Amino acid sequence: MKTFTNTNPNSLDQAVSLVQQARTNGQTASLVGGGSDLLALVKDFIVKPDVLVNLKTIKGLDQVVPEAGGVHIGGLITLDALGSHPVIRSQYTVLAEAAETVATPQIRNVGTLGGNVCQRPWCWYFRNGFPCLKNGGSMCYSVGGENQFHAIFGGGPSYIVHPSDTATALVALGAKFRVVGPSGERVVPGADFFVLPRQDSTRENILAPGELLSAVQLAPAPPGRRSTYNKVLDREAWTHAVVSAAVVLDMDREICRSASVVLGGVAPIPWRVPDAERLLAGQRITPALASKVGEAAVAGAQPLTKNAYKVPMTKALVRRTVLALATRA
Amino acid sequence: MSKRKHDISRRQFLEGSGAVLVAATAGPKLSAQLSSSIQPETGGATREVPSTAIRLVVNGTEHRLEVEDRWTLAEVLRDHLGLTGTKIGCNRGECGACTVLLDGKPVYSCSNLAVWADGREVRTVEGLAHGDQLDPLQRAFVEHDGPQCGFCTSGQLMSARGLLTRNPHPTAREVRAAMTGNICRCSNYNRYVEAVLAASSTRDAKTSDRGAGRSTAPGRRGAKASARAGGA
Amino acid sequence: MSRPSKLTPLKTIGHPTARIDAVERVTGKATYTGDVHLPGMLYARVLRSPHAHARIRQIDASKALALAGVKFVLTHENCSVVWGAGSISGGRQYVDDIKKITRHKRYLFNNPVRFFGEPVAAVAATNRHLAEEAVRLINVDYEVLPFVLDQEAALRPESVKIWPEGNLSPTAKNEMEPEVYRRGNVEEGFRTADFVFEDRYTTTYVHNAQMEPRLCVAGWEGDKLTLYTPTQGTSNCRHDMARDLGIPDEKVRVICKYMGGGFGNKNQNQDADLIAAVLAKETGAPVKLELSRKEDFIGVHGRWPTTQYYKVGVSRDGVLQALQLRGYSGMGPYRKNTGGIGGIELYQCPNVESVTYPVYTNRAVSGNYRAPEFPQGFFGIESMMDDVAYKMKMDPVEFVLKNMTRKSDDEVPYTNYTLEECIRRGAEAFEWKKRWHPPGADPGPIKRGVGMAFMALRSPTGQSSAVIRLDSNGRYTVFVGVTDIGAGAKTTMALIAAEALGVPLSNIEIVWGDTDRCPYSVGESGSRTTDMTGYAVIEAAHDLKRQIAAKGLPKGDNVLIASASPNPTSEGKVRKAFGAHFVEVEVDTELGRVRVLKYLAVQDSGRILNPLTATSQVKGGATQGIGMALHEDLLYDRQTGQPLTTGYYGTRIMTHLDAPEIEVIFIESDDGYGPFGAKCIGEAGIVHAVAAVGNAVFNAIGRRMKDLPITRDKILGALV
Repeated sequence: MKTFTNTNPNSLDQAVSLVQQARTNGQTASLVGGGSDLLALVKDFIVKPDVLVNLKTIKGLDQVVPEAGGVHIGGLITLDALGSHPVIRSQYTVLAEAAETVATPQIRNVGTLGGNVCQRPWCWYFRNGFPCLKNGGSMCYSVGGENQFHAIFGGGPSYIVHPSDTATALVALGAKFRVVGPSGERVVPGADFFVLPRQDSTRENILAPGELLSAVQLAPAPPGRRSTYNKVLDREAWTHAVVSAAVVLDMDREICRSASVVLGGVAPIPWRVPDAERLLAGQRITPALASKVGEAAVAGAQPLTKNAYKVPMTKALVRRTVLALATRA
Repeated sequence: MSKRKHDISRRQFLEGSGAVLVAATAGPKLSAQLSSSIQPETGGATREVPSTAIRLVVNGTEHRLEVEDRWTLAEVLRDHLGLTGTKIGCNRGECGACTVLLDGKPVYSCSNLAVWADGREVRTVEGLAHGDQLDPLQRAFVEHDGPQCGFCTSGQLMSARGLLTRNPHPTAREVRAAMTGNICRCSNYNRYVEAVLAASSTRDAKTSDRGAGRSTAPGRRGAKASARAGGA
Repeated sequence: MSRPSKLTPLKTIGHPTARIDAVERVTGKATYTGDVHLPGMLYARVLRSPHAHARIRQIDASKALALAGVKFVLTHENCSVVWGAGSISGGRQYVDDIKKITRHKRYLFNNPVRFFGEPVAAVAATNRHLAEEAVRLINVDYEVLPFVLDQEAALRPESVKIWPEGNLSPTAKNEMEPEVYRRGNVEEGFRTADFVFEDRYTTTYVHNAQMEPRLCVAGWEGDKLTLYTPTQGTSNCRHDMARDLGIPDEKVRVICKYMGGGFGNKNQNQDADLIAAVLAKETGAPVKLELSRKEDFIGVHGRWPTTQYYKVGVSRDGVLQALQLRGYSGMGPYRKNTGGIGGIELYQCPNVESVTYPVYTNRAVSGNYRAPEFPQGFFGIESMMDDVAYKMKMDPVEFVLKNMTRKSDDEVPYTNYTLEECIRRGAEAFEWKKRWHPPGADPGPIKRGVGMAFMALRSPTGQSSAVIRLDSNGRYTVFVGVTDIGAGAKTTMALIAAEALGVPLSNIEIVWGDTDRCPYSVGESGSRTTDMTGYAVIEAAHDLKRQIAAKGLPKGDNVLIASASPNPTSEGKVRKAFGAHFVEVEVDTELGRVRVLKYLAVQDSGRILNPLTATSQVKGGATQGIGMALHEDLLYDRQTGQPLTTGYYGTRIMTHLDAPEIEVIFIESDDGYGPFGAKCIGEAGIVHAVAAVGNAVFNAIGRRMKDLPITRDKILGALV
């Protein structure tokens, strides 16, 4: 591995200023949550930090705290803690389920919510160090190459898919993201946190250098809410989503008052499907409706040469997820 | 930055790291097959490598040592504390051979820097048995032929230990889920699951903390195993 | 030898027995190569080609050498050592002459480089991080050349030539000819057949992915090299090292105590061993060379990918009339093994022809992986036969029973024959008739299906050696040149010795894995150790018993020493292990997921010496076969010739949650050859597993999956 200096801030302010300081010195700094993914990128010289800012030494950022009837979740909560937290499990099930599908127990024991949401793409061109858009180059190799796991929505000029399961769940829950940086704190809607490649192909979210995701806020879950996360893996464990569906239904007995349908593994950002949500609103969910919702979820898909299979897969996954959730006791 | 805050075990670290070397004088060449157009220049640029003094409690023993910031926990355990039972199979969180317990939870020691473990408790495969008293899991792994090549075994044991401490009587499905971050390319998965379930049915399944193991190790030789061929 | 009709129970052999070294393996005390630390040891790293094919114009290592602590840099400019086992005419790996005559020599560092990941330079430095950084400071100027990845495309006239003579890899006679197997006259057979079927199957490069990546520690004392390396054959590794370095065999000591698997990846010596040895010589210090997981995937070898064209002639009543295969095996740019495609010879058929082209490509080099030429060949031929059976409206099991091998090549008798029993017992235990239904018959969307495949696998006898020493304390020390790759050779040798000597297992000590202490053994490859070295142990035991009878037990400081170097044959007959696998899968036709629900393996590997470890071998082989069927491929980017899916994540190696329960039934027999009637087992579990899974998928969905691996995209693609 290249040399770097590890630093242990004890506050967010200090973390931010450590990054600032490094930048002033002409150095590259990387923020570290659990660090599993970052270390792999450093070992491969994909990321070449001079300074690591180890956020794990900041106290209190790993809690689920009640806030305005909802919850405030610290960005440093581990995926394991998140997945097993009783409030998250019961009120925000989709998030707990998403956290449980990430990687392996060993990674979930150190991996953080913030790190999971902000992880870099798992596109094999990016990870193998190709001079692609994500590595500062000028082309996306997937277009003319192996694009089995690439985007069918929102692609161009890069066709990565967003790798985060929890991000997909958070967008479905309408989470707000708390961003801390040199100019203080700002809160952005989850849906505005992520950036399409056509806006900026070098990054996946709005975080500017020196900014970090410190927490997410979730509004109170209304009575009658059901939510779930279904993920298609490429083996039975430890792959990113081939396709995933985060579905939130606010039910009034058998009628769906409102719904949220967000897809993972299909687009460079968590991919919301408003047409599918509109179909569900105010309706009793029948198999026929669920099929229509599945169709709506893939309307306008633009597959590449080798990922057209994601279209029927997404359709079926959404249909099944919606139907199973609606009929869940 | 925290460069060499103190040098408590600097000497020990140097010895362990292989940084103290006999002068590397070139030996006799393999004649005819080699020329020597590329040879080291004398001297060379020395660069400062950031390092930090940390404290680790490993298998109940406290270690104070100076580590390079870039050293992984696996590297420190193996190369600097001599605990080579922890293996490195992929060095990137894909295989699980390096699994250790960090404050009681299974983690990939290849994917954690040693500096991040400062002040924390680490348990490795060497810390499972108490003298000759094997952990119930170790006994079950022996009896059920858990290890084929054995390279993933330490990691499998540590994941299983993490599970049984939390959930002493898991189902087969729970065992597979808890150990799914541990690849066994010999693919002895059936055996590992069998062994963990067998260990979970023993009286001391949960508490294998040092000194808690009650049974003695099976004889090194000829331990009869309980599994039968033709089924299992 | 006598040929007992029924197995007589034995005292030590045949009972489930824990490994004699199991405690070392579960306590972290077993010493693997990576655990070896020598005083003053340097660390080495390899710079690898970032191009699939390129000529090196210039290498500038001055920046690397300018780093304090960097001791030496090796490149093609200052090292011309030939890696003899790295490229062999005909792929006959154990024959020295063939290594000498090959036209396509593989140096440790080649120019041009012919695949992504080929070594370009190696650095020795005082620590591994420094060596890694130094490697990145070496500046190489490449002239990038055109490349070819596909084995069939590489034979087309317009393809780039990787070697001047073209891309067909030469035979053992150094001739640019395909490998041909023939009996009868296929053209005649097709003329008389009522039906003729043709199809094409492909298999992928599947990496061995053993848990321990390649590494080694080399050090010289004077003119003697000591090499710690994970090798499946210490004797062969020693000889390879000596030949390649131009020194006598006795000037090399190879030590391998514990090894983290290999499955054929660690046969013989590897370039890493030679690079470390040369760096150690140059620097005068021991050198540890460690490969990363990615380097292991691209720098050692995996199973060769194949393209297989079959033509099958069959009579109206479902009897084979003619069988033809034209196959292409992608060897990478060097020939490490035969590139054979096995399986077609295992049918009772008067007219058979197989023409296989081992082809050079600019991919990672292919070589041995558990039953090197069989899982891919059996996938092709048994998928084809399954398909023919369905097209003939026959039950696939009935079709197999009608057409499977009864004699080797339809001519030579087997030493014993239990294939039919394996199939019938398996079909009964699996409840084949009950579980089978017409293809795609389940209403879905989740459909079940069953499949079956059989195998017969060479179970060779041959030369090996063993020495047994008895001291006055009643300790029997058995010296055998085996290593313990994971199959349990040490334990097996101890069991055999205890049984042959008639003493308790606890009286046996095994000395292994060190060429200075142990006699020759072929090593843990080709499923031969139990048969060959086990047989030598029995012969040595007989010698010792004769000595005891003549001289009495040793007293005081006296010892008795017995030895044997037998080279038994099977007297003109052919020894084979047999087996049949039955699989039930569930295919989600909307999400493309394939799950194995039930798996039954019936194997005849002769007498089972240790049912505990033997069962583990079969379970492991079958599970690897499922992985090959459903997941594994080293995928390449066709734009650049670079691999994309190195490592466990990328290749989707089976995890705990993927692995089904594998039921194992042994049909035991004693054919009168081999130690107590044992036949091969290590590779036997994987040979037919891939085909069985593929056939079950067909039965589930009614679509034949002809290209491995059977991934979700292919399932969904087939069902559109």
